[in-house]
Order: sequence, then structure tokens, then C-alpha cells
Amino acid sequence: MTSADVPPTVARAGDSVAIGQIGIAKGSGVLRTFVGSCVGLVLHVRSQRAAGLAHVMLPASNGRGTPPGKYADTAVAETLRLLREAVGESTLACTAKLVGGATMFGFQSGTPIGEQNVLALEQILGDLGIPITGRICGGRHGRRLAVDVITGTVTVETAGQGTETLA
Amino acid sequence: MTPNDNRLAAIFHHGAADASSALAKWLGRPATLSVERLETLPIEEAAAVMGSSETLICGCAMRIDGAIGGLLLLAADDDAGLSLADTLLERPSGTSTSWGDLERSAVVETANIVGCAYLNAICAALDSAGADGILPSPPVFLRDFPESVMEAVLMEQPVLSDIVLLARTEFRIDGTPIGCGLVFLPDAAGVAALLPTARDPGDST
Repeated sequence: MTSADVPPTVARAGDSVAIGQIGIAKGSGVLRTFVGSCVGLVLHVRSQRAAGLAHVMLPASNGRGTPPGKYADTAVAETLRLLREAVGESTLACTAKLVGGATMFGFQSGTPIGEQNVLALEQILGDLGIPITGRICGGRHGRRLAVDVITGTVTVETAGQGTETLA
Repeated sequence: MTPNDNRLAAIFHHGAADASSALAKWLGRPATLSVERLETLPIEEAAAVMGSSETLICGCAMRIDGAIGGLLLLAADDDAGLSLADTLLERPSGTSTSWGDLERSAVVETANIVGCAYLNAICAALDSAGADGILPSPPVFLRDFPESVMEAVLMEQPVLSDIVLLARTEFRIDGTPIGCGLVFLPDAAGVAALLPTARDPGDST
């Protein structure tokens, strides 16, 4: 796929993955994004040195699904599809990490949308048998995350609270 | 510009004028708010209107219910926010170097006073909704990454459209921009009140 063929819903290594977008990279590089109540879904294929990062905004597409990175259900399916395409294999042995899902204002009643996003992703990944090997979720602050494509290590800076690493 | 755009601009300029008076009175100095952006944007672009920075911004968010619902955010560069707090606390600029209770309280009260003046004036300018007024929540202080803040503002919408209406005003004190302003993102009902003859901006059909 050439850069001219890359749809606007897909980011590449070095790009910041925008809201509702999916970033895919193979070989080397870093995928980055900022999240608040959205969740950064990281899928990593260690054997192929490939990673996907979806900036998930809502827990369910309810039949909409565009852009696919926006909703938990379509984001998982599309990130897996793009990873398969990137590595050229029909089956993937990948792991997942989740970052984000904060409740920054607390104005909403009921289960906060960030928590709903995390729960939806956990359910979908569990159904697919994809292990979640790390997560930094919840709280009241936004986060900046960077995914190392080779190792799958995710560096997470929580606003005003320092940096952690998900190996 | 369409008649609808002109009407909308006039409504927000009216809001900014009343908010300017409230800010000047609150600060005890010449101060104005001017409408810098008033547009419909794809949600991805709206998430980036505060810029993309690793530097934290400060702000106060208020959920608005009533005639025009939505979310109002007073946002400032960290230094600008602390400088605003110094002004309000009648201290030399540069005195505040971190966010204590006093500094937070000063900025929260500014959001309350200026934000309510702004939205009350907008309500009054609406033919059909003025009588209902607005019901703001207590402001919530925050200090965070700009993209995370805007993302959270967008996520507060009860029904999230792919395209949103966004109004941004900037503060000037003694004629100088201070890196501080208001962002208002009306919800679907608020958009309907503001644009009675327009389609839902999220309706792509």
C-alpha cells in the first residue's frame, strides 16, 4: 500500500493517531496519541514486529461503524484486519493493551463513557481470545501514549502524574 | 455567509459583548471577549482546536442545561491561567507559580461569572428560547493535555454527531490577548435552538 492509498482513517508510524483513527506500523517506529475518556487500544504482533493503535471513542457502533476506529466493536475488527494485511498472514498471535477511559468531568450520570469503552473492549478481546497484557485505565486525567512497534512497549504519561511503562 | 450564519454570528457576538462587560467588571480593568471561531467541524478537527501539545492547559468546564444545552469550557495556557489568577487576586503578575486552592477558586469563579453572562445573553438573543434560560453545573477545574480536554468536552454530548458546532472566544485584557478563552459546544438540542431552520449538523442525509 503506498502513502497515496492510505485512507484518512489510518495513521502510520510517527503520526499522531487522531480521534476515531487507527494507526498501523510494521518493522519499527512509534505510534502515538492522546486520550481522555477515549481508549487507546494497542494490538501487538511480537513475531512480526507489527502494532496497531486504535483511538476508540464509543463502546458500540450500533450499525454505524464509520470510521471504524471510533467504536470498540468495529475498531477491534478493523485493527486486526489491517494488521493481517500489514504482516501478510491470515492468522495473528497478538496481545492487547488498553490505556485511557478517564472520567475527566464527572457530569454524566450512570456508567461513565470512558468506563463503558474499557468494558466493551475487554469483552470483545475476551471473546476473541486476545490476552490483555497491560492496562492503565480510569482516573480523572488524560494520557499521552506512545507504542514502540518493535517491542510493543507502551509508554504512558498521565497529565500531571508522571510516566509509566507497560512492557 | 448565509442568513443563518449571520443570525448565528450576531447571537454569539451579543453573548461576547455581555461577557465582556461581566469580565471587565469582575477584573476591574478593560477587558473584552471576541468571537474567534464559529463553525461546524468534523469531530476530529474539533478535538484539535486547543492545539496538540505536551504542555498542560488549565480550564474550567460547566455542563449547561436549559434553553441551549451543551458544554462550556474556559481554557487557558497554564501561565495565562496563573496570570489571570494573579490579576483577580490583585497580586503582581508572576506571583502564582502553581495551582493552589486560591488560584483555582479565582479561575473557577471567572468561568462562572463570564460563562453565565455569555450564555444568558445568547439565550436572550434567541427569539424562542430566551424565556427558559440556562442551568449551569458548578464549574469543574482541570489541568490536562489540550487534546484530552477537548476529547472529554466532545464526549459529554448526550448524542454524539460526526460534525459539531463550536464557538470559541478569546479574552483580551487592556487590549492584549492573554491566551485564555471560552469554548462552547452546544448539544443537539442547543444546536436546534441556535439554528432553528438548519439541519442537525450531524445529519449527513
